[in-house]
Amino acid sequence: MKARWDLILLPPLAFSFLLLFGTQFVFLRAGFYNDLGLGRIGEQLQIDNYVTAFLDPFYLEALALNAYLSSVVVVCSLLCAFPVAYVIARMQSKWAMLLLATIVLSSFITVVIKALGLIIIFGTDGPINTTLMGLGLIERPVRIIGTLSGVVIGLMHYVLGFLVLLLFSVIQTIPRSLEEAAQLHGASRWRVFWRIVIPLSLPGIVTGGLIVFNLCMGAFVSAALLGGGKVLTLPVVIERTIVLDTEYAMGATLSAILLASVMAVNILSVVLVRRLRSARLVVT
Amino acid sequence: MKRRAFAGYLRRTAVIAVVGGVYVFLLAPVLVVVVASFDGGDPVAGRAFLNFPPSSVSLQWYFEIQPRLFHALWISLLVAAFAAVVGTLVGVPAALGLARSDLRGKTLLGALFRAPLQIPFIVIGIAFLQTYYLLGNYFGFRIAGSFVGLALGHLFVATPYVIGSVGAILQRFDTSLEEAALSLGASRWRTFRRVTLPIIMPGIYAGALFSFMVSFGDVPISLFLASPQYTTLPLEIFHSMEFDFDAAILAISTLIVAGSLIVLWLVQKLVGLDVMLRSGGSG
Repeated sequence: MKARWDLILLPPLAFSFLLLFGTQFVFLRAGFYNDLGLGRIGEQLQIDNYVTAFLDPFYLEALALNAYLSSVVVVCSLLCAFPVAYVIARMQSKWAMLLLATIVLSSFITVVIKALGLIIIFGTDGPINTTLMGLGLIERPVRIIGTLSGVVIGLMHYVLGFLVLLLFSVIQTIPRSLEEAAQLHGASRWRVFWRIVIPLSLPGIVTGGLIVFNLCMGAFVSAALLGGGKVLTLPVVIERTIVLDTEYAMGATLSAILLASVMAVNILSVVLVRRLRSARLVVT
Repeated sequence: MKRRAFAGYLRRTAVIAVVGGVYVFLLAPVLVVVVASFDGGDPVAGRAFLNFPPSSVSLQWYFEIQPRLFHALWISLLVAAFAAVVGTLVGVPAALGLARSDLRGKTLLGALFRAPLQIPFIVIGIAFLQTYYLLGNYFGFRIAGSFVGLALGHLFVATPYVIGSVGAILQRFDTSLEEAALSLGASRWRTFRRVTLPIIMPGIYAGALFSFMVSFGDVPISLFLASPQYTTLPLEIFHSMEFDFDAAILAISTLIVAGSLIVLWLVQKLVGLDVMLRSGGSG
């Protein structure tokens, strides 16, 4: 009478793993060849590309810039997203649904269109610069597109909606009665927030932060467009290596390094969240 | 007491300012694109870029949309539909198998099924491209630049969304419902169709919708797998922004925004957004 669910699992398993391991194996292997120029690749397996990638400051700086920008975005987006998620989660009206739907809508629109809008808004003759100049606050337009701040703005826009939805789902699981109880016993709003809301949503904050970090590490469109080709994060460098320089092997090597750094953060996140969970079990 | 009331007022204002600011930040770029697309200024390519807010209103850019862009839109829709449909066909049995079988190492299998979401999209694009080159060079299998090649790359990232959203529902599934149906004499297939399927349906809808949207909005995968014949609309917009700006992309972007609104409204009407939100989120 028992259904053979493991047999049902088999076809999707075979298909998905063929795509996953097949493509990953081929590309990881491709990173161990040599570029001969004009898109041709040598015959011998070697580690020259990795040596170059780790010795040439150009590539290391791209990776460091990537990590730096991603960390800045993690902090800024958590500071912006948490209040929004908290307010929506604690709202007791049908407005909450509308606010959530708006976030969903904004995250459903392709990142290219949003980058286009951001470029218009923050451009040298965009509304922000015009307004500031009209108010006499600045004398000449401030360049934002093509700078690090431009990329941070683009990345923030890319991850905010997602982060609000994630934090919302976490805060929703914290019983409101806990906050009410603390307040009845005389805790100030501030104290309730720091001693109850933040600790209980800590696993969500950590997971959210790490996912945002990973999204930013791999983000290509925002970095390429808001950076105006001047901010060279690793994904932008990878694209140039392959599309402009047609160095397929080097591109594969750099992709492997990007993948490895993202995976390292993933493993770290699993360990961290597990530790947080077990710590909480001890407390309660 | 008065001071307390003032502090409360201040706190509320600060919270409203942050929340309002985030919403303005999230929505303004989309609104700006929509408004700029109706610019009636000098129809020299690129003028709309310089004219915000527009000085006069016209639909001129909507008539400037090249057939190339409509073709790319069509390809985008086809690829996204392929990713959503095939992703569902692969994802639903995978989710059922993961939830129901008592294999050892199921958590590991689940993690591997979700692995595509952990890989940066640009790396996925490159990995598929290299694989296609290899298949072409050694086996004469010309998949690089084909529709299937492009769609397979999109399918790869779509499937985990279906597995995630269907899996989320199966976790809370009350198997006694199925047992009841079986013990009352329903065949296993009938039980699946009349009991299991209706319960996991919201998860299927959510997964398919997420897959469709993720595929439809993608640039970095298509960047490496598209060919002049099979290119997607976001990629066309991306190239136009990088190299030669054409204000008609504002117009077609506005059409996409309108399309997304309609899809979301239909979802709300037919399934309910709260159902989608609850079963969505593939982790």
